[in-house]
Amino acid sequence: MRTPSILPALFATVATAAAVVLLLLADQEWEVATMAGVAVAVLLGGMRLGWGETVHRSATAHRRIVTPVTWLAGAVAIFLLREHNFELLMLCTVMIFMIAGLGLTVQFGYAGVVNFAAAAFMGIGAYTTAVLMNSTALPHPVVILLSGLVSAVIGSVLLLPLLRTRGHYAALITIAFGILFRTFLEVNDALGGPQGLKVPGLELFGHAFNDAIEINDDVEWSFYLNYAAGALVVLFLAYELVRRIERSWMGLALDAVRLDETAASAFGLNGAAWKITAFSIGNFLAGVAGSLYATITAFIAPASFTFSDSLILVSIVILGGLGNPLGLLPAALVVVVLPEKLQVIQEYRFLLFAILVIAILLLRPGGLIPRRAREYPE
Amino acid sequence: MSKRLPYVIATALLASLSLIAHARETVKIAFIGPLTGGVAANGLGGRNSAELAVKLRNADPKAKYHYELLVLDDECKPNVGVQVATKAAADNDVIAGITHYCSTVAMGTVDVYHRFGLPVIVWGAVLPDITYGNNYKEIHRVNGTMINQNEVAAKFMTGLKFKRWAIIHDTTDYGKGHDKYFSEFLKKDGGQIVGDFGVTADQQDFSAELTRIKELKPDVIYFGGITPLGVRIRSQMDKFGVKAVFEGTSGIISDAFIEGLGPLAEGVVAFREGAPADKLPGGKMFLKEYAAANYSDPPEAYGPFAFAATNLVIDAIEQVGPNRKKVRKVLDRTKDHDSVVGKITFDDHGQNSVPLITKFVVQDGKWVVWEDSEYASGKRSLTGR
Repeated sequence: MRTPSILPALFATVATAAAVVLLLLADQEWEVATMAGVAVAVLLGGMRLGWGETVHRSATAHRRIVTPVTWLAGAVAIFLLREHNFELLMLCTVMIFMIAGLGLTVQFGYAGVVNFAAAAFMGIGAYTTAVLMNSTALPHPVVILLSGLVSAVIGSVLLLPLLRTRGHYAALITIAFGILFRTFLEVNDALGGPQGLKVPGLELFGHAFNDAIEINDDVEWSFYLNYAAGALVVLFLAYELVRRIERSWMGLALDAVRLDETAASAFGLNGAAWKITAFSIGNFLAGVAGSLYATITAFIAPASFTFSDSLILVSIVILGGLGNPLGLLPAALVVVVLPEKLQVIQEYRFLLFAILVIAILLLRPGGLIPRRAREYPE
Repeated sequence: MSKRLPYVIATALLASLSLIAHARETVKIAFIGPLTGGVAANGLGGRNSAELAVKLRNADPKAKYHYELLVLDDECKPNVGVQVATKAAADNDVIAGITHYCSTVAMGTVDVYHRFGLPVIVWGAVLPDITYGNNYKEIHRVNGTMINQNEVAAKFMTGLKFKRWAIIHDTTDYGKGHDKYFSEFLKKDGGQIVGDFGVTADQQDFSAELTRIKELKPDVIYFGGITPLGVRIRSQMDKFGVKAVFEGTSGIISDAFIEGLGPLAEGVVAFREGAPADKLPGGKMFLKEYAAANYSDPPEAYGPFAFAATNLVIDAIEQVGPNRKKVRKVLDRTKDHDSVVGKITFDDHGQNSVPLITKFVVQDGKWVVWEDSEYASGKRSLTGR
């Protein structure tokens, strides 16, 4: 078989990065409308002509080149936005939601463990970061890691009830946990109560992330550039982790447990152990995402981690295509950036946004980029 | 054709000239409030009021600039608030902002405004720390804090020769704040607090607190909290035969409070910032214009503040032009500025230091301004209800 050309994959990567930058910079209604129109055309055209398949084959054949190019394109996109504070903040939010979405992908997409409290686990990470940064002198990368760990450890409280229930009942348990978490924060004065907590900025090897980068007297790069770069690095690590889990024997085991737990256990797989693993990894990633989130917004309150925020995270994962980390990018863009671009229609924006999401799921029931069946190269 | 051409050119020139004469430079102001979610009614009322102020000014031929309101929704969530605040503050065309109804959101965004140097006026959030928590010159507030309200409340009630107070407050920041500031001012004015009880906002039964209060024999029960809780406490006071005067905060000034209590509401006193809109000449104008603009939602309690804040910002821009630093300095110096909520003077933290506090008392099933009531004229008395 002839090796497919590398061009489609490279083109798709660069076009995506360019589209992200353009979408973030678009501030006129007609610009946003045009971009939405082009996106729909590409989506429909791509479905007809099988572009997805072409790009996929090209990317698989040249994985070693395409993967670094993709991350490089991300870095270039961030660099292009270096002087745009608000756009960088939006991009940071998108990346953070993607990190949390990666956690949900492991839970939901691979192991089939439902989690409707993802925002609560982000909240645990965020509050851990706030407390550790305010009261200890731990290096900040360590704080971020610890925030993820604390989130995973607190999540283990839910393990027993989660393993003993199925389907809707398990979903209810996580929903209850999310609500409990918020109530706990609101009555807890040491954690700021309903008014929330301030979070200091990140620091890495003496470089304060909250300082703008002065190039010379006239040019000053946004301080959000620091955070965007940091978020991209964490996203890279999280993405590679999840990708490797999926492609390894672990991913196979998780898939088996999700698809048929009885059959999996007949083959000697410990269903409970795998669910625990997936749940903890997912919560760890959510905690890390929450930690970054806290340092970027510099202020956290219980109202930032409500049940509806958990639903937003779940909808990102489903909209993107359950179990496919690639789908997280377009889905996070739709969920995070679109309502922002719709600010012009003020109180009606969520109405239009909801209609759009329903329309997408009608057109693409499997999500924007559905997960593919495993391929085994000969 | 050749004969007509000069006319065409002349007309075109004239038209463009008149356009230049009429086209005023456009200046952007941001409005940020909760347009969706649980407190959207207040946000929409504020939005409409700010929009009205802009519309009226644009219709004024004397205005130097054309104003455009950039409306952003903070959803009453700090994370969304920081996002939209960054959007407004990073946009160099935006000269000033009228921002926030929710205290948590305002607490999160003040740093953003300070960092980007965007002068803002808070139009609804009441937590004192928003203006007093930092020394940010960019932050101003037209509505009073709970401090002002309680200062007047304590002075007024001690002036009526009451001596002994029992305090019941809910344990949210709102209730705790009221408890703290009222206690401070009351001690200063010579009142005595015989008991202080914190209750959760959804508590149903107050027999423990009220039995104890009955033994303590206070003249007044001060209540720091909002309507539903206030209704329950006031009605249970009657069951236990507690004869004290019931004194509330701005949180109980609503028609629902009187509907919930019926005749028991008679003689309840409470305090709210801002003159009642229909008492000031500007306020009447505001209500009339608001009604004429046919908005589908009412201005709500804080609409007049949003209106006043917008006008304050526009006045400053008219004075020094669209420059953030200059506008900020003008706002910092605001003194005795007439507005629909009374005179506005900012202290060194940008807090309006002379917010009018209006005293209300329930008389015959209505909230009546104290000075107009039969209680003030001596016909009725609070104690001899």
